[in-house]
Amino acid sequence: MAVTSGAETRPAPGGPAPRRAPAAGGALSIAKKLLTLREGSIIVVTLVTFVYFAITTSNFVTANSFKSLLPYFAPLAIIAAGEVFVMILGEIDLSVGAVYLFTPFMWHVFHHAGLPLYPSIIIALLIAMLIGVVNGIFVAYVGIASFVATLGMLFLLDGLSLVISHSTPVQVPGTKIGAVNNFAQIFGGGTYSELFWAIGIVIVLQLVLSFSRWGIYTVSVGGNRLGAAEAGIRTRQILVRNFVLAALLSGFVGILEVVRTTSATPDPSGSNTILLEVVAAAIIGGTLMTGGDGTIVGALIGALFLGMLTEGLTIKGVSASYLDLYLGIAILIAMTLNVIVRRVRVGSGRG
Amino acid sequence: MAEQAFAGEHIVGPAEAPDDVLRVEHVAKRFGPITAIRDINLHLRKGEVLALLGDNGAGKSTMIKILSGFHKPDTGTMWLKGEPYLPKSVDDARAHGIDTVFQDLALVDQLSVYHNLFLRRERVHRPIPFLSNRLMKREARKALDEIGINIPSLDVPVARLSGGQRQAIAVARTVSGDADIILLDEPLAAMGAKEGAMILDLIARLKAEGNVSIVMILHNYVHVFAACDRVSLIQDGVIVLDKPTSETSVDELTEIVVEEYRRARLAERSGNGAGAAGASSAAPANPTSPDTAE
Ligand SMILES: Nc1ncnc2c1ncn2[C@@H]1O[C@H](COP(=O)(O)OP(=O)(O)O)[C@@H](O)[C@H]1O
Ligand SMILES: [Mg+2]
Repeated sequence: MAVTSGAETRPAPGGPAPRRAPAAGGALSIAKKLLTLREGSIIVVTLVTFVYFAITTSNFVTANSFKSLLPYFAPLAIIAAGEVFVMILGEIDLSVGAVYLFTPFMWHVFHHAGLPLYPSIIIALLIAMLIGVVNGIFVAYVGIASFVATLGMLFLLDGLSLVISHSTPVQVPGTKIGAVNNFAQIFGGGTYSELFWAIGIVIVLQLVLSFSRWGIYTVSVGGNRLGAAEAGIRTRQILVRNFVLAALLSGFVGILEVVRTTSATPDPSGSNTILLEVVAAAIIGGTLMTGGDGTIVGALIGALFLGMLTEGLTIKGVSASYLDLYLGIAILIAMTLNVIVRRVRVGSGRG
Repeated sequence: MAEQAFAGEHIVGPAEAPDDVLRVEHVAKRFGPITAIRDINLHLRKGEVLALLGDNGAGKSTMIKILSGFHKPDTGTMWLKGEPYLPKSVDDARAHGIDTVFQDLALVDQLSVYHNLFLRRERVHRPIPFLSNRLMKREARKALDEIGINIPSLDVPVARLSGGQRQAIAVARTVSGDADIILLDEPLAAMGAKEGAMILDLIARLKAEGNVSIVMILHNYVHVFAACDRVSLIQDGVIVLDKPTSETSVDELTEIVVEEYRRARLAERSGNGAGAAGASSAAPANPTSPDTAE
């Protein structure tokens, strides 16, 4: 079984490696280096998972299986990048799935009203950003806990999506079933389109997080909000900005996904599943719920891990009802490992 | 003298000197039902080191936070080098040449030493404003060496450092900027004798250079008489004493504080509050322990 074999292999590099390092050779020292990264444990877990499925199934390492993995993992990675920016603040955005669901309908509405393709997309994305502004204002200025504010937004947008669409799927502008044009090729329809978007967005945002003022202010607001304000950081502005980023990315992925599937379906339960997977990817990837620390690349690998697990278990023929069970167990194991590795990294007694 | 220390009985009125860089007149600040400061009159002369003293909860940090642009005063006026002064933000105060070491240090545990040292004054590349970590590290090393504090690695998050090291970083951050008025809220609170002496040396050096004027909140009278030119003492949100250190003594300052405790105990026994504002001075607090304002 995926889970047990993973658990057996992992503690070797994960647990005692740092202590045994002086006596051991190059492999262990590389493992040690790896584990000093925030993303260390998830990289190891993902590799182990990959190797496990590669060995135990005959058709896991194929182009086809990779391609069917993409639509699962790339959207998660992009939305999770925004969610990480919010989670580092010590907040959470529960409305990312709802924005993902809602934005394509806005696009449809404005296109239907006569706006050309690109302007209507831009307006839909501006509306997504506006939703982020509202989230941010509720949290930063009104002072509502982000969990509550964005939960309200989640229901509001789910409801609005159902109302606007009359609970029926709509055909997406700029796409035709069975024909992929240039526009669709770029915005989600091409096989690797979402992958390229995901990699590009993740790289840019990781750079922003690690090497820009915005990044260290985000860490500051999450790590010590009062201290950040005393130092002169406009903490509320950072809060609003990061909620806007999360909403924008969610809306954008919404558009990519409906272009890929050529229709927009008002399915709140599907979008809420995406919310949960996004949060799981972020946390598995090494981002703290408590704020002050997080990684975009980690979230991408977290999404990859979740995608691989789903894909691998499906290939192994695990029945649908067991899939979630195994997923849950694997997530718990990955998280536990994260905590252990973090303790080793930060120093015992912490974490 | 002791009788004069009654809050409301002997409030030091607005004072001034011809070479004042900073002047505060009748400043008051409430937080909801709590009056943090009632009527503060202060002045700071060019090149001077002023000690701001007072019991826990007297309103010292609130006064500092008003000067540093973090809080807005409810009433009162402030003057900076002859101009009306009402900072809109911490950045604004900094732009006016006023920088602060806050009591809670305002450090971010998760950030490295040098990111903390340059928080809000980051050095960036051009044209893409990515952080210039190498430059910041180099300048951080220089600033810390100048203070003489030993921080082995600038890359570690400040969470790993001792209380004294953290305080030194907060002081270095403020001192290495280009402020000419420096506010220090209990800069020696978490420091051992050796580190404390380093900071006092630094203050003495800054004073000798004559470019900065300093307001310092202290609790230890040894430090007050070693480093400061003048003392202002706050009780229950008003200034009750303003004297050059050469004209006062440990005995006089102690007497005022002892009298305050006596009064607080009396008030407690007779079932009254300790005075108009003294929500916190009624509690027998340890005057040497750092308090948490927020
Ligand atoms: N942000 C705030 N909100 C509410 N009350 C405050 C706040 N800051 C200070 N106070 C109150 O104001 C009074 C003065 O506090 P402070 O200025 O921190 O005193 P000190 O620094 O002299 O110990 C205390 O009673 C304190 O509880
Ligand atoms: Mg204080």
